[in-house]
Amino acid sequence: MDNDYLFTRHKLTLLTDKNMILKSKLLCLTGLVLISGCTANAQPEIASAPTGEVLKVCAAENEMPYSNKKGEGFENKLTRLMGQNLNRKIKYVYWKDPRYFVRDFLNKGLCDVVIGVDAGDPRVATTQPYYRSGYTFISREDDDLDLKSWDSDVLRSVSRIGYIPGTPSEIMVRAIGRYSDTFNYNKELVGFKSRRNQYVKYDVSKMIGDISSGKAEVAVLWGPSAARYVKESATPLTMTVVPDSSTRADGKKVGQHYSTAMAVRKGEAALLNQLNSFIKQQHYEIEELLEDEGIPLLSKS
Amino acid sequence: MQIKKFARNMGTTILVSSAIFAVSQQVNANKKLEDLSEQNTNWVMQTKDYNASHYSSMYQINIQNVHKLKPVWSFSTGVLNGHEGGPLVVDGIMYVHSPFPNNIFALDLDDPDRILWEYKPKQNPAARAVACCDVVNRGLAYAPGTKDYPPTIFQDQLDGHVVAIHAKTGKMLWKIENSDIAMGSTLTSAPFVAKDLVIVGSAGAELGVRGYATAYNIKDGSQVWRVYATGPDKDIGIGEGFNDANPHYGQYGLGTKTWEGDAWKIGGGTNWGWYAYDSDLEMVYYGSGNPAPWNETMRPGDNKWTMTIWGRDVNTGKAKFGYQKTPHDEWDYAGVNYMGLSEQMVDGKMTKLLTHPDRNGLVYTLNRENGDLVNAFKIDDTVNWVKKVDLKTGLPIRDPEYSTHMDHEAKGICPSAMGYHNQGIESYDPVKKTFFMGTNHICMDWEPFMLPYRAGQFFVGATLNMYPGPKGTLGQVKAMDGVTGEFKWEIAEKFAIWGGTMATAGDLVFYGTLDGYIKALNSKNGEELWKFKLPSGVIGHPITYKHNGKQFVSIYYGVGGWPGVGLVFDLQDPTAGLGAVGAFKELAHYTQMGGGVMTFALD
Repeated sequence: MDNDYLFTRHKLTLLTDKNMILKSKLLCLTGLVLISGCTANAQPEIASAPTGEVLKVCAAENEMPYSNKKGEGFENKLTRLMGQNLNRKIKYVYWKDPRYFVRDFLNKGLCDVVIGVDAGDPRVATTQPYYRSGYTFISREDDDLDLKSWDSDVLRSVSRIGYIPGTPSEIMVRAIGRYSDTFNYNKELVGFKSRRNQYVKYDVSKMIGDISSGKAEVAVLWGPSAARYVKESATPLTMTVVPDSSTRADGKKVGQHYSTAMAVRKGEAALLNQLNSFIKQQHYEIEELLEDEGIPLLSKS
Repeated sequence: MQIKKFARNMGTTILVSSAIFAVSQQVNANKKLEDLSEQNTNWVMQTKDYNASHYSSMYQINIQNVHKLKPVWSFSTGVLNGHEGGPLVVDGIMYVHSPFPNNIFALDLDDPDRILWEYKPKQNPAARAVACCDVVNRGLAYAPGTKDYPPTIFQDQLDGHVVAIHAKTGKMLWKIENSDIAMGSTLTSAPFVAKDLVIVGSAGAELGVRGYATAYNIKDGSQVWRVYATGPDKDIGIGEGFNDANPHYGQYGLGTKTWEGDAWKIGGGTNWGWYAYDSDLEMVYYGSGNPAPWNETMRPGDNKWTMTIWGRDVNTGKAKFGYQKTPHDEWDYAGVNYMGLSEQMVDGKMTKLLTHPDRNGLVYTLNRENGDLVNAFKIDDTVNWVKKVDLKTGLPIRDPEYSTHMDHEAKGICPSAMGYHNQGIESYDPVKKTFFMGTNHICMDWEPFMLPYRAGQFFVGATLNMYPGPKGTLGQVKAMDGVTGEFKWEIAEKFAIWGGTMATAGDLVFYGTLDGYIKALNSKNGEELWKFKLPSGVIGHPITYKHNGKQFVSIYYGVGGWPGVGLVFDLQDPTAGLGAVGAFKELAHYTQMGGGVMTFALD
């Protein structure tokens, strides 16, 4: 964070109900408030906790780096920021199976907000997108792979490509004719569990670990899901956004860039407006939160 | 070179006589096992004999006295999990095996109180996690001693190794790796001995393992031949003359042409089932399993040569014929079930036959010399994915209502993925010319889904729900004519008959049930004459043998396997185990895990 940013952010409103914005880093640096554990990644000790009514947020019990029960995910961080802005006490309602959190949690009223879905997801009412990102090629810096797009030759010769089934990466792996010879590695990533109707979790940190160790040469993952691990890797890794122009064999476009929004049940206009206000008012904080995570941000338009 | 020169000088006498000597040695090794298999004192292979008859000519125990059968001794293997296959008995020694960790015990039938020897392998514990459907093992194989090697017991281990053990001492003779568990490939099959070879299959189709069968030298475990289920003809063992008698089955290049791109590389077709052997024709028979991945939209094409009945030259592995039963499988009807050989009249001519009850609910009878399709009929009239098999083309005429496409929800598909027949070995009574089949009667609903998540990711899958078929129970036992497709009698069983049957000249057919009964029926009419409740359910088959003039029946107990996954792994979701958990949810009310062998005799 550079000093220019510090000085332009001179407004620090502590008093109004609506705008109880506390930038932990800002406070740490200016020394205005003594905060314990004042490091970049600490959960902020908030000088005044939200006083408004409880807001139930659907959150993943264990889907890092988005969310977990300990609140270590970046969507948990965003949730806290949102709670501050709306002055609502956050109550997390945890789901385990990502296939059904809309059907079985949000739409059943067990919780009222979801933090990360695709903008325009037809199942729900989505806010304006609060960021746009893309799938990324991840590899070891030292390998110096010429990875620009799915047309890059190197993708045809590497021995292992890590990807998550059901994602655009799988479609592209098939399109470049590498599906068969990367299939077994893909199954190995989940310990050879073959569950046709059950959710089998792909551990992104494990896939990044395989890149760091050299077991696999490339992983092609949704940037936000991998950013933190790429950043934390002891072996320097590179992350390149896949251009959105990828097409499969029949010429059909396979989108690589997506916008993320928050969402509520259809018809919950008031809450949706509040979330949109939050996103608009705090777009700097949100952007910084995402940059902190290492997420490659693309322009929303 | 030198020998030839010598022969030219000395005449060809020496060369020819040494060739005859070599051939007769080979024939002797093979013949000896065959002779042993015909002796009532033995049960030398899992299939009982090379015909896989599971039939004994003994009638000491018969329909008059079987009600007096009682347990005379028992032995616990010390292992839980499903006990498939059966013990072997050779020269008064019983060889008992267990599921993982695949322990082997030898018991002297003169003194079954004591363990003669045991072999407890040290295996990579990671093998457990990779196995899909319980850590079963289908049994041991035996080769009699020759001048080149001692009497040997063989076992396929879960961690992919094949081991040869001295049958008298229990000492390991050699061990080789057939399958790599790091690739998701384990072994659950029983090895098969023919001539001086031990033949081993493969498993792990769903994980991208391309199926293969391998023959190893009994003497030292060196590889003699290996044939794949998919890929170039050379890999599959397809050469000139393949399917010449039935070119419409398909001949050349189809192991690649019936796949898109290089999809054959992960095409599956693993074979973990049973073999049969004709020592006159020197042909070995077995079936290749299901294609991969399970989602049929990912592999357009007939997917040859998965789901195929093979007739191969035992010396080279070369295929004489291959008949694909279920082109482009959609239901997981793995084609690895047992092959029962018989010789019967077909159109007024005595014909060598092969009869095979497939997972797909059809029974196929082929001329085993050339692969001609003699008959293909439904094992139960409720089979519905297929209307019938066109005997001229060999192709199933499918009913699209029971397809499992990703855009189609199908209800009441019969058979379910478990098949109307699974891995049990059945029996054939050559006097009655009747096969006895223990079957499944399980149907399923198919619910595909494609659920959105985020960032363009979808969860693609399918939920299977399984339940008893229209006749109301999960299993049946049937007596059938393999040539005409006529059923002589049929009885209902509460649970699937997973382990197979054994028949005798005493007019009896024996089998075990999943809830733990060993039963004896009158093989003429299916009347139940005797049963005994074992300590745990049965997924193996009974055997019978004579010792010191007395007839015994032995069977493994120890529920598990695919039907037992809910019970074994304490699963609650009815759709888990591809729906097996729901289908067999009642089982836990009747039995729990166990593991051992129980032996019965008359007083």
